[in-house]
Amino acid sequence: MRRLALGIALVAAASPLVAQSAIQPVLPGASRTAQGDVAVTIYNNDTALVQDRRELALAVGRTVQDFPDVSARIRPETVTLTGNGIGIIEQNFDFDLLTPAAMMQKAVGETVTLVRTNPATGAEVRERARILAANSGVVMQIGDRIEVLRDDGLPTRVIFDRVPAQLRARPTLSVTLRASSGGRQAVTLNYLTRGLGWSADYVALFNETNGLMDVQGWITLNNQSGTPYINARTLLVAGAVASADQQQQRYRPQPPRGGMVQAGTETANRERLGGFYLYPLAERTTIADKQTKQVSFLDVHDAPAARGYEYRNAWLGTSQEPVSANSVLRFSSAAGGGLGDALPAGVVRVYQRDARGNPQFVGEHRIGHTPMGSSLSLATGEAFDVKVRAVVEERTRVNDSRWKTRMRYDLTNAGPKPVIVDLVQDGLWGDTRIAAESMVSERKDADRALWRVTVPANGATQVTATFDTRY
Amino acid sequence: MILWQLKKVRPSTSSGRVVLFGMAIFSFPALASAQTIVVSPKADKVAVTVYRDPNGSGAMDLGWLEGFALITETRRVSLPAGEVDLRFEGVAGGLIPQSAVVSGLGDAVSEKNRDAKLLSPGTLIDAYLGQRVHLRRTSKATGKVTEQEAIVRASGNGIVVQTETGVEVLRCTGLNETLLVPHVPADLSAKPTLSVRARSDRPVEAEVTLTYLTSNFDWRAHYVATLAPDGKTLSLFAWLTLANGDETGFVNADTMAVAGRLNREQVERLEPETRSISLNCWPMQRTHQTSSGAPPPEPEYERDGDDAIFVTGSRIARRDLEAASPVTLLKAEQENLGDLKLYRIPLPVTVAANSQKQVAMIEQPAARLARLVVWQRSFDASTEEAELAEQILLFENREKDGLGLPLPAGSFTLYTTRDGQPFLLGEGRMTDRAVGEKVEVGPDTPSSVRVVQRELSRKDDIRRFEIVATNDSPVSQRFEARLDGGGKVEGANSKIVRRDGQWVWATSIPANGSRTLTFRYRAN
Repeated sequence: MRRLALGIALVAAASPLVAQSAIQPVLPGASRTAQGDVAVTIYNNDTALVQDRRELALAVGRTVQDFPDVSARIRPETVTLTGNGIGIIEQNFDFDLLTPAAMMQKAVGETVTLVRTNPATGAEVRERARILAANSGVVMQIGDRIEVLRDDGLPTRVIFDRVPAQLRARPTLSVTLRASSGGRQAVTLNYLTRGLGWSADYVALFNETNGLMDVQGWITLNNQSGTPYINARTLLVAGAVASADQQQQRYRPQPPRGGMVQAGTETANRERLGGFYLYPLAERTTIADKQTKQVSFLDVHDAPAARGYEYRNAWLGTSQEPVSANSVLRFSSAAGGGLGDALPAGVVRVYQRDARGNPQFVGEHRIGHTPMGSSLSLATGEAFDVKVRAVVEERTRVNDSRWKTRMRYDLTNAGPKPVIVDLVQDGLWGDTRIAAESMVSERKDADRALWRVTVPANGATQVTATFDTRY
Repeated sequence: MILWQLKKVRPSTSSGRVVLFGMAIFSFPALASAQTIVVSPKADKVAVTVYRDPNGSGAMDLGWLEGFALITETRRVSLPAGEVDLRFEGVAGGLIPQSAVVSGLGDAVSEKNRDAKLLSPGTLIDAYLGQRVHLRRTSKATGKVTEQEAIVRASGNGIVVQTETGVEVLRCTGLNETLLVPHVPADLSAKPTLSVRARSDRPVEAEVTLTYLTSNFDWRAHYVATLAPDGKTLSLFAWLTLANGDETGFVNADTMAVAGRLNREQVERLEPETRSISLNCWPMQRTHQTSSGAPPPEPEYERDGDDAIFVTGSRIARRDLEAASPVTLLKAEQENLGDLKLYRIPLPVTVAANSQKQVAMIEQPAARLARLVVWQRSFDASTEEAELAEQILLFENREKDGLGLPLPAGSFTLYTTRDGQPFLLGEGRMTDRAVGEKVEVGPDTPSSVRVVQRELSRKDDIRRFEIVATNDSPVSQRFEARLDGGGKVEGANSKIVRRDGQWVWATSIPANGSRTLTFRYRAN
């Protein structure tokens, strides 16, 4: 608002309605964009760096240069303009938009042409009018009469002599600069913008019979910045950069949950810079406004993968009826026996073939940035045929600070093949001891005990355990 | 894309429209270089697999479906040599672009795009910002039409045009005037468009498979259960009801539904951008209008015919449900899909836009059942007066009891027969049930057992309770009182056992009789 007021004040002080050539060349250039050679670097957290090299026709000395076709969601405070022999005096981002009302406001005190049309004959009468005010209606002076525009309801065209110089069709970046030499000159405009983002999408076709899967990775980028980027060199960066903009914090996506069981330590054969993995697109591309674009970056065949089952019971959890176990897909991103690449954050969609051999969707899971060599375990859904029923059979007080809890877990499998279920009892709080159990458990951590339970085809397995809790 | 096998087909009748854009001035700069646009107008073959909203229940609302579908389309295309923009028309409106997989073109595909900037009056004029258009005026008096050239100077908030006479604002004049543009820009299309950029050094005829997930679909299982007169068996029938809330229909589609719970993730989808022309003017107050002048009347929006929901479809569905199990000729076939269950409609059917479709999915004419009346409370619950216990139906989902097939979650309606006519007993819900499971369902129908539970005395931490169950039917009733509580039960006058973490009193309430349980309860 301050900037806008300043703009108006400047105009009033200097030359209102700076004389422009009355009508601009009617035919626009063959290319509709003012962008030059554009390079876009997109980060994951709604941040992108745009570099735009343009050729400007500069006059020696001080000039005001407009930069149309920059992102509509530009962060003006991040703009830098560089070029040989160019010094920046000031940069403005003008939001004073060209609208009919604004144009009439700027015409106050100016003279316009009226064309009145006789409704009966269609005959036109032209006269000049001076706009006196444009508040809740337009008051104007024609000769020695004062009149309200279209108060008689008759058709009247208002023809302005020119578009006021400071009104823009779109928010526009303008830079006041001083050039030491004239003529055509290359300048580089750098800025950060919002509205460009990317993530990875994975298509995993899992073959349960031979335990292999094919995985394709796609980079999905989308453009909501209100501007197309024409024929741009595009670089995608896996990782988020810290944003100084506090407001942005609220829109930060939640960190992706789970999936990675063991973080890998291998280095992928990809370009790296600091902690970022870089994914340059192989060729220039046009990123249109409101476009979602996908480019392939990973294609792996016959990577080993296995189906597993997990069930986690909350402390003292009793289920009234059997509950489906989670069905998980386990694989590795290691070079040996895995996908052999670092995996940028995204959604893994898992497909399996139906009885006729057509791929069908069986679930999806979001992963975070995953280094090469990691073990992954992705819950894709619940197993219809594999169920667990946990029951607190008995809970007895041993003394004031000790309780004994007898648990029973019934695992059932209605499928035609035996399965192994990772049964986890949660909430053990460290000082809980397992006093007795029907099969040996593994203490995953202070909080959790794990049993690897084999459930026969079309059969059931029961696990019992007695917990001794102190507090 | 190699997952789905590449298939080249012999040259045949060309399908798809080919539009050549050479140095088109009015097209997008990126397309200004010679670029061939090939349009694939529709699928030759399509398969639809519907996944349901895991939390859905009751009737489906076609305007708000929270399930989704996997669409697999086969399209035959012929592409010229060179760089091609292959556009797929007639895909579902709810397409999730991140999930789209295009196969059959091998390495020729360099990228795939989905554009959500749509052709609409506002976006059309917007695309001509700074460009030459025609301004047409028609005289009301004489009907004379005049046209002149104009350049669009602003379009977002009222249209400002520049002509050789000066700068004017469209439609603030009281004249009949409009803008005419020479072409539709190549980057605006009628519907969100999925396209691929492909390149080949020779013409290609290919069968392309397009696979994607789309929102706006859902399905439900609804069971119609009819009790046999003897009350010992049940005829179990289930409808598979598919709903397509999308504006796109699929003709002769291989149609499937998947039961089971899938993990889904939120993904961002760019909403289509459309705009009407904004015709703001300068202040237009006139002297005879009061200063608090009423705002101009709201334009009357025409109701969009496509939005209308075909109520007839669901009304018919409702009537079918309320008849006893119908005779059906088409039944979905079940197969395993990983850890899910897939139901396939054996014949291609049409999944029309904004419609619902029902086919039979389960028909088990004689499922053996047991009836049980259950009283489920905390051990120290007390009732003011006698309360109705719950009527439960018990099945074992196994073949020898007339079942033995996966039973996907759904609602059910329980009927019996009276005078040769169906009689509604109650309605309820059931969760996913695998083969071999014991199933208890409560149809929410009144039982004939009433229960009074009260505390008789209390001394230290020993409390005495009494449960009295009365039966007003001429048939004895199997009855269970299931009491929650971790303490000890002592001195019961009838057998009470610990089962599944509860104290259970299982008995039979004689015809027109009653039973009483008394016990002492010692808290832990």
